[in-house]
Amino acid sequence: MTEPSSEPAAPEQDPLAVETELPSSLMTVNLGPSHPAMHGTVRLVVTLDGETIVEAVPEIGFLHRGFSKSSEQSTWHQVLPYTDRLNYVSPVLNNVGYIMGVEKLASVKPTERAEYLRVLAGEISRICDHLTCVGAIGLELGAFTVFLYAIEARELLWDRISELCGARVTVSWTRIGGVATDLPPGWEEKLRDCLPRVLELTDEIDALLTRNRIFVDRTRNIGVISAEEAVDWGFTGPCLRACGVNYDVRKAHPYSVYDRMDFEVPLGSRGDTYDRYILRLQEIRQSHRIVLQCLEQLPPGPIIIDDWRYALPPKKDVFTSIEGVMAHFKLIMEGMLIPKGEVYVYTEGANGELGFHIVSNGKGKPYAIQVRGPGLPILSALPRLIKGHAIADLIPIFDSINMIGGEVEQ
Amino acid sequence: MSAPAKMVKVAIDGVEVEADARDNLIEAARRIGTAIPYFCYHPRLSIAGQCRMCLVETSDAPGRLVPGCQVRVKEGLKVVTNSPAVKENQRGCMEFHLINHPVDCAICDQSGECKLQDYYMEYDHQPTRIRTYKLLKPKREVFGPLVVYDAERCIMCTRCVRFMDEVAREPQLAVVERGSHSLIATFPGQPLASKYSGNTVDICPVGALLNRDFRFQSRVWFVDQGPSICTGCSNGCNVYAESRGDRIYRLLPRRNEEVNQVWMCDDGRLAYHASDEKRALWARIGKGEASQSVGPRIALERAVQLLKPLSGRGATGSLGVSISAQCTNEEAAAAFLLGGQLGVARYFLGGNPPGDQDDFLIRGDKNPNTRGVQLAAQAFGVKLEEAAGLDEVKALIGFRTEGLPVEKLQRLELFVALAQNEDAATAESEVTLPLQSVYEQECSLVNWYGRLQRTWQAVPAQRGDSAPGWKWAAGILEGLGAPSGLKSAGDAFDAFAQRSVHLAGLTFAEIPDDGYTLEGELPSEWPARAPRPQPGSPSIRSPRPDLRLEEETSGGAR
Repeated sequence: MTEPSSEPAAPEQDPLAVETELPSSLMTVNLGPSHPAMHGTVRLVVTLDGETIVEAVPEIGFLHRGFSKSSEQSTWHQVLPYTDRLNYVSPVLNNVGYIMGVEKLASVKPTERAEYLRVLAGEISRICDHLTCVGAIGLELGAFTVFLYAIEARELLWDRISELCGARVTVSWTRIGGVATDLPPGWEEKLRDCLPRVLELTDEIDALLTRNRIFVDRTRNIGVISAEEAVDWGFTGPCLRACGVNYDVRKAHPYSVYDRMDFEVPLGSRGDTYDRYILRLQEIRQSHRIVLQCLEQLPPGPIIIDDWRYALPPKKDVFTSIEGVMAHFKLIMEGMLIPKGEVYVYTEGANGELGFHIVSNGKGKPYAIQVRGPGLPILSALPRLIKGHAIADLIPIFDSINMIGGEVEQ
Repeated sequence: MSAPAKMVKVAIDGVEVEADARDNLIEAARRIGTAIPYFCYHPRLSIAGQCRMCLVETSDAPGRLVPGCQVRVKEGLKVVTNSPAVKENQRGCMEFHLINHPVDCAICDQSGECKLQDYYMEYDHQPTRIRTYKLLKPKREVFGPLVVYDAERCIMCTRCVRFMDEVAREPQLAVVERGSHSLIATFPGQPLASKYSGNTVDICPVGALLNRDFRFQSRVWFVDQGPSICTGCSNGCNVYAESRGDRIYRLLPRRNEEVNQVWMCDDGRLAYHASDEKRALWARIGKGEASQSVGPRIALERAVQLLKPLSGRGATGSLGVSISAQCTNEEAAAAFLLGGQLGVARYFLGGNPPGDQDDFLIRGDKNPNTRGVQLAAQAFGVKLEEAAGLDEVKALIGFRTEGLPVEKLQRLELFVALAQNEDAATAESEVTLPLQSVYEQECSLVNWYGRLQRTWQAVPAQRGDSAPGWKWAAGILEGLGAPSGLKSAGDAFDAFAQRSVHLAGLTFAEIPDDGYTLEGELPSEWPARAPRPQPGSPSIRSPRPDLRLEEETSGGAR
């Protein structure tokens, strides 16, 4: 473990080893799909030579929900709950990515307050996502405390998310032209109260792991991928930046109000498990900065546009005026009539570029939706990442790419 | 035949359109798919210009808006349907139409097929600006047996008034009061009793006139629509049957210029009740206390067991087959095949008794397929007798049981019934095989003037053991050791068609969606206003006796 290399040591090169090596044959073991150490329901068929991984074939499909096809049967807003279930650790980011595509088709600009709220809740979700990944990697290397700390911090934030969006995970929070709910009374204070604790817990994790000899030995130079190769594989997000490639959609193609936010894009250098871990820790701190700036800059005003072609009328109008009830009826029964067109909209999800390719034929339901989940290209490279490592390294490497079954399989 | 249309060129939103000189601007725009919105205009009614929704700009009246329903096209006319002035008028019109409209969508049957809803979202989509109370008007005026009126929802398009005047020709509706207070009313002591009153519900663009039979029965988005043929009388109006599960909720007219245009009568609208209510559901044997549901297979075996000894006795006249004029062509053909196998010599024509008729859509013969059964009898070379002859048979197979005299059935030694509904006749049957209604199966019917029309499976649900009559007949034939080869409605139709002078060379799949008129069957006398194929209409099909497969007609199954 102290001298890892990207290739399995060839026993023949060492005459002594040849003497001591017991004759062995390749062994195939099956990991998952339901295994406590597998993230999400995915299966790995691993071929071992002793303890060394010769080949690993990931098999997905156990969490397939038919996202694209289901979306074609749903109105534009009914698709939102399906997007919650893509990356279910940071659902707000999926909601935002999807609704931005619909808004682009409809040439609708959300209200400014809604833009800030989206960034605010989105960055909180990103912190939750990274905390989950970081906590789990500690857990898998025996540092159970780290996991508890991470989950405590995540719970604080998910409580805020559930107060704001009405649910911890199944938020379905964005709307065409805005968001569903405004900040509840006293929410900002609650958030300001809990953010320091989140940072504190993050620092604890940092202190427990980052310079921990065991942790560093188990992660440094493990699961290395070069910048060039990562780009070829289609890496985005933290896994790509861990290789030193400066690509963050929020900076490269600023959307929403990210251009008004002051934050940095942390970069790694080696592209190993350790870099992917440390990068997420740093991104938590950057997201924390963005959250604070959102709170500072948050403008007053409506949280959703006032165009009844796309936004549901306020309930007061629905109950008391024929105009309101008609608009409500048509929007619910037929859906918003989104103009004909085709867009690809990409945002920075927690794991990388989350792209929605949406086609509208002018009806109340999408004609077609495809998702570019950041997890699939990264998972595809997993065999490449773990080849030649010991079986004990498989789980930490697998954790560091943070595969989320929902977005990989849709 | 009217003179060929004179075509003129007009430009609509800059797009050149070749339009019939008789077109108004709405119809001309429709030719290129440009929608000019309208409430009061109806292509089959006179022009009222009531709703003002269709105002557009033309080169003839620059700076002014003209009603697209009233203005006709002329050579070189330029029409603009999307200028700011037109859009603002449409928005304003919608706002005015909604000023006194109640907040009723949640309890209104029209929700989901309402022009106000559609146009509001397309042309207005603004909040209300009214801060006063809405006018209160009568909410549930019962106009007649089929129609109820909600004055608050009414936008005074007067389509219903014009329909009653011009199409039904029974002016039973009128506009009373003035301005915002105006409403539609019947005359004192004279309800909306016309047999065509249901059409006013169809053409009502809003939820003001509602069908009492359908009211509060189902939301319109829960029902599925399938094309079929009305079974109320021998006119054979083309309809859509709207159903949920195995239940039909309403019948709506389906356009067929040569049969029913876009209308149908009130009795027809209620004709589906026969297929919803008191259905014979389960195949059973025995009668009265002894009757038991035994499933289709055992019931068929029992029928075969009872009929087999009679095989050949038909020739002596003691076994008869009765065919109701409610039977489809396929059922009739299968009945004759079965009768042929059993050597039956006596066939009886049953059916519902005649009723009222008029000069438009209502025919006196209240059976949808009298002509079809007669044509089938002709094709199979048998004679159809009146029910009086039933006295002379000892056993009877009844293909649909309408109009069978019960006292004569009671006297029979054996009665096997293929029945859609439970009635006095099925109480007498030793074996009862349940039939699907016309709306539930693929079949064909021939209307009073010889128009062969097909149906589809408009109600896709299965009720009990019910099956098409040809299928039961095929089962009995199989049991008798004479497989008929009938595997589908198409097979049964072909067995009929290849024996018929009128249908020779035709297969079921070739029947056009709007039907064929069998030329040799056309009547010489027409009710004054009955829709009919004009001479030279593409629907008229000449007999092809040369295609008749003579050598096979005597051989039973092909």
